[in-house]
Amino acid sequence: MRLQQIADKLGLEKLTPVFDQDIDGVYISDMISDVIANAKPGNLLVTVQVHANAVAAANLVDVCAIVLAQGKRPSDDVLRMAEKAKITVLSTPLNRWQVASKLYEVGLR
Amino acid sequence: MREVSAPRYQLVDSVPGFVVVERAAPSNQARCYFCTEATAPKEAYREGDQEWHFEEAAQSFQFSVRDNATGEVLRFHELLGLLYYACLEPGSQLRRIGEVAQSVGVSIYIAITYDSPDGTPCEVAASKLEWLNRAFNDRIRTPGKKILILPDLFGIQKQVSSGQIMLDFSLTTMTERSDSVA
Repeated sequence: MRLQQIADKLGLEKLTPVFDQDIDGVYISDMISDVIANAKPGNLLVTVQVHANAVAAANLVDVCAIVLAQGKRPSDDVLRMAEKAKITVLSTPLNRWQVASKLYEVGLR
Repeated sequence: MREVSAPRYQLVDSVPGFVVVERAAPSNQARCYFCTEATAPKEAYREGDQEWHFEEAAQSFQFSVRDNATGEVLRFHELLGLLYYACLEPGSQLRRIGEVAQSVGVSIYIAITYDSPDGTPCEVAASKLEWLNRAFNDRIRTPGKKILILPDLFGIQKQVSSGQIMLDFSLTTMTERSDSVA
């Protein structure tokens, strides 16, 4: 499934341009060290973590995109950092459980 | 889902723990160590003429890298964490180098190490850094993207705050609060 499709189906707000690519699974975490240790390339990272190091970890692991739950929004500096690294950042007012449920409903595993 | 071949170099044997920052009185010297206890120890202790006090702790992990072709495993016990170039001060030399590298798809990270007993930063051997770079680059699937992890030849470790390194300081604070309620 493509990132753009997921963004459209869930009505996610695009905080950066969408760098469209295939999504391979989902990882939910707010811990930088956990993301580095356990997230997989191509995963959609669902988090409430808006620190610059969330982008640093997402980039290191090569996740597909970051979905910020509960309406979280990083600073403009962090968004610029993500865009330079071609990491898509999306936002939703849904909480992490609701995001996970909706991702499952649309077929992501 | 697309089939992805197994990478040759792989992070393995992940051990969760804490990076503990402590400070000595009266010298005001600071140092860090990795701790695998359930909670970070906070008791002050005396070492020679210095008394060491807990300052802060961050959740982190230590790991090894395995060469799946040979089965050889290298442990990265000297590695405190990685520092992303974009988390450095705007205008700093390394940040400017990082911006140039990023413009051609190369993301620079600096390997920040623990101090050795004499207070100087530990070194990550060049051969180990090569493995670390390959472990992260082997699994990248975005075309044209590269990760470049450099040794701290710039003395960055002494210039940055712990919050700039890729560690979980804020979440440790939450852990401590829940511990204190219990």
